[in-house]
Amino acid sequence: MWTNNISVNLWRDMLAGGYKNLKQNMSVIDDLNVFPVPDGDTGKNMTMTIEGGISAARGDFASIGELMVKFSKSSLLSARGNSGVILSQFIRGLAVGSENVVEFDIDSFKSAYKCGVEYAYNAVALPTEGTMLTVLREGGEYLLENNFGDFTECFDSLIAELHRSLKHTPELLPVLKEANVVDSGGAGIICIFEGMQAILNGESIDDIDIPVDSSFVDTSNFNEDSTLEYGYCTEFILQLLRSKTDIDAFDLPSLTEKLQELGDSVVTVRDGSIVKVHVHSFVPEQVIAYVRQFGELVTVKIENMSVQHSEIEAKKPERQKFAVVATATGDGIMEFFTGIGVSYVINGGRTNNPSAEDFIEAFKQVNADYIVVLPNDSNVVLTAQQAAELYKDSDVRVIKTRSLAEGFSALSMMDLSVDSIEQLIDDMTQCLPYVKSGYVTTATRDAFLNGVNIKKDEWISLEGDTIYASTCDPVDAAMQLFEKLPDIEEKQVITAFYGYGADENEALQLENAFKEKYPLIEIGFINGGQDVYRYIFAIE
Amino acid sequence: MKFAIVTDSTSDMNKELREKYNVDYVAMNYVLDGKEYPASLDWESHSPKELYDLMRAGKRISTTQVPRESFYEKFSSYLKEGLDVIYISCSSALSGSYNLSTVVAKELKEEYPNNTVYCVDSLISSLGQATLVIMADNMRNEGKDAKETAEYLIANRLKINQFGTCDSLEYLSRAGRIKASKAFFGNLFGVKPIILSDIIGQNFAYKKTKGALNSKIAIADDIAGAVINPEDQILYISHADAITSAEQLKELILERAQFKGVHIDYIAPIVGSCVGPGTIIAFCYGKEVTIKGE
Repeated sequence: MWTNNISVNLWRDMLAGGYKNLKQNMSVIDDLNVFPVPDGDTGKNMTMTIEGGISAARGDFASIGELMVKFSKSSLLSARGNSGVILSQFIRGLAVGSENVVEFDIDSFKSAYKCGVEYAYNAVALPTEGTMLTVLREGGEYLLENNFGDFTECFDSLIAELHRSLKHTPELLPVLKEANVVDSGGAGIICIFEGMQAILNGESIDDIDIPVDSSFVDTSNFNEDSTLEYGYCTEFILQLLRSKTDIDAFDLPSLTEKLQELGDSVVTVRDGSIVKVHVHSFVPEQVIAYVRQFGELVTVKIENMSVQHSEIEAKKPERQKFAVVATATGDGIMEFFTGIGVSYVINGGRTNNPSAEDFIEAFKQVNADYIVVLPNDSNVVLTAQQAAELYKDSDVRVIKTRSLAEGFSALSMMDLSVDSIEQLIDDMTQCLPYVKSGYVTTATRDAFLNGVNIKKDEWISLEGDTIYASTCDPVDAAMQLFEKLPDIEEKQVITAFYGYGADENEALQLENAFKEKYPLIEIGFINGGQDVYRYIFAIE
Repeated sequence: MKFAIVTDSTSDMNKELREKYNVDYVAMNYVLDGKEYPASLDWESHSPKELYDLMRAGKRISTTQVPRESFYEKFSSYLKEGLDVIYISCSSALSGSYNLSTVVAKELKEEYPNNTVYCVDSLISSLGQATLVIMADNMRNEGKDAKETAEYLIANRLKINQFGTCDSLEYLSRAGRIKASKAFFGNLFGVKPIILSDIIGQNFAYKKTKGALNSKIAIADDIAGAVINPEDQILYISHADAITSAEQLKELILERAQFKGVHIDYIAPIVGSCVGPGTIIAFCYGKEVTIKGE
């Protein structure tokens, strides 16, 4: 079968196929992790990024251009992690490049792809070769340099080229070679294209449910002591059944009248044998029982309006001049951040990257003229910047904090009473060049890095991306880190967040060992309650 | 001697300084475990180490202003001899002593119509207050009278600059003796406030630094930026049982400004109980202070 054109419906299904195949291979991609630390999440990030687009772009579209606008907009919002942001920008470029496309022919596909690569490169200030950017770009160059008989040949060749490019990534990026892996983002791209190829070839991919767009509901305002104040917003679609009623004789006005006895704000619409109903009622069970004498429910939604109501109330804090939005993990750290002036803490970070939409939701909530964002992870900075670019109601400034330690340092120097945003940013960034980020965590595999013989499941200590020790005792791992850090003697203050199984006694043990060795450096401990990291150190 | 100079317990002037500049003082009191002690500048009730160790152990020390009787007796003793008096008080933003002194001075005017007690609100405390006292003695030696001297002191008092830091803002805020933006509270570990005395004589934590060394560097930079003619001045540093820290601060300041001498001493009980152990403060004469705490 020769396929010279891709219709909008086929393209939509191909995108879904790409998503499904990516999701099935998610953990394989996660494991392509350069460092033997438990933070691999490229597969998950790319999957969740594209998932937003897929769930939004369902149904029928008149053209690929129209489909891609919707797909791209949602992907930009759900983008998380650097790989997710780059992927979402590639999709954005595809959308821009296919703006006037009804159906893809090979030429329009090539030019849309080319535009995608340009957007992907523009997503990062300093593009690194040997990453998914290289894989995308070389695929694009190959497309432009070659002619294809049809789309089947085009995808076969493109995917072969992507594989070739991916295999080459360790030659371009030494960290990949050292860790003996290929680039995880590039591998994710191939999964997407292979999933699309399968659909193009008429194959099926094991079904994975595509999630339906669902919004977060805050239920915290309805508890054991609440009373039902506003009733339930009840909406459903009723299929009238011949076995239950005479459909031709069914009288909508008398149904409406009955519903008005059971509630208010009644809206009823009839379309043939389908009746759509909206009613606010304190007795939704009676509404349902009543209507089922005429047919059965196709869909039903019953929502407690007290929850909805208080949600709306909670969403309107007074406009303030400055607000700070930060990501953090661990109850203790999140609470601590709130205590020192963060208006909104996004639960996420190194192992659970938030999406651009998470940031935008935070921006809405804090309602401020100026919003300072602390991404607190190198894999969240791009997402925060993407969110800042998409959000128009505030002047959003992203301080590129690459770790929790840097975020903490910025916060500790913050003074929200200053007059200007420039002063606020100045205060918060003055110490950043001198902050070192230390970690103690477990090794996920054996490795030999930076002269350290790393054994799986041992405690390893790192500063930034440099591993300093691997040992069976977490306190020892921490002390070895301090001993090996080249400029420890110049440091004055260390703030330690303990979590992941560490308790107060162990923290005290570390404190005593540290104070004995470094009497001139202040050290303080905060119960961070974080996962994965036994200790996170801000070394200043 | 044309007039007498009287200061109080917050001037932190030890016996040697008081004798050198011919100054008398009236004592405030401090209360420890319900017992009141006169805040002697000669540490008669507790040694500095004892007092600061008690604070470190969690003992709370409260303070009272100069008793009315003390003012009355001290001022009268000089007025009786036919001398005017200049009383140089602790900042009125920190103690009620200045206000009370003006009331007593007015009463005594009726008793001794030929002589006057001039009350000068130093708008500062510790060795900054002492700096103003020493200026008064210098003028007295130049032959200026009490009125002229008091007016000059009032006109120039804001030229005495204070830059200090403390281990914890807890003491100052508990004593209600500091203005600081909200950002300072919560006592962030490792974050040191830099505290100046503002135009109304209140302590104002106007910026923060990270780490003890950085706080001293910031103080040294601020002193160097504010001082005028350091070669003619003694650098005054007071500390709440933090002599190593004070010595380190001295070195940092002397690297930046050449003072003709240095005087380092303990912060006496009244100021000490309000700032807490570990506090260090440097003072110099220089540019007029223009900052007002929020």
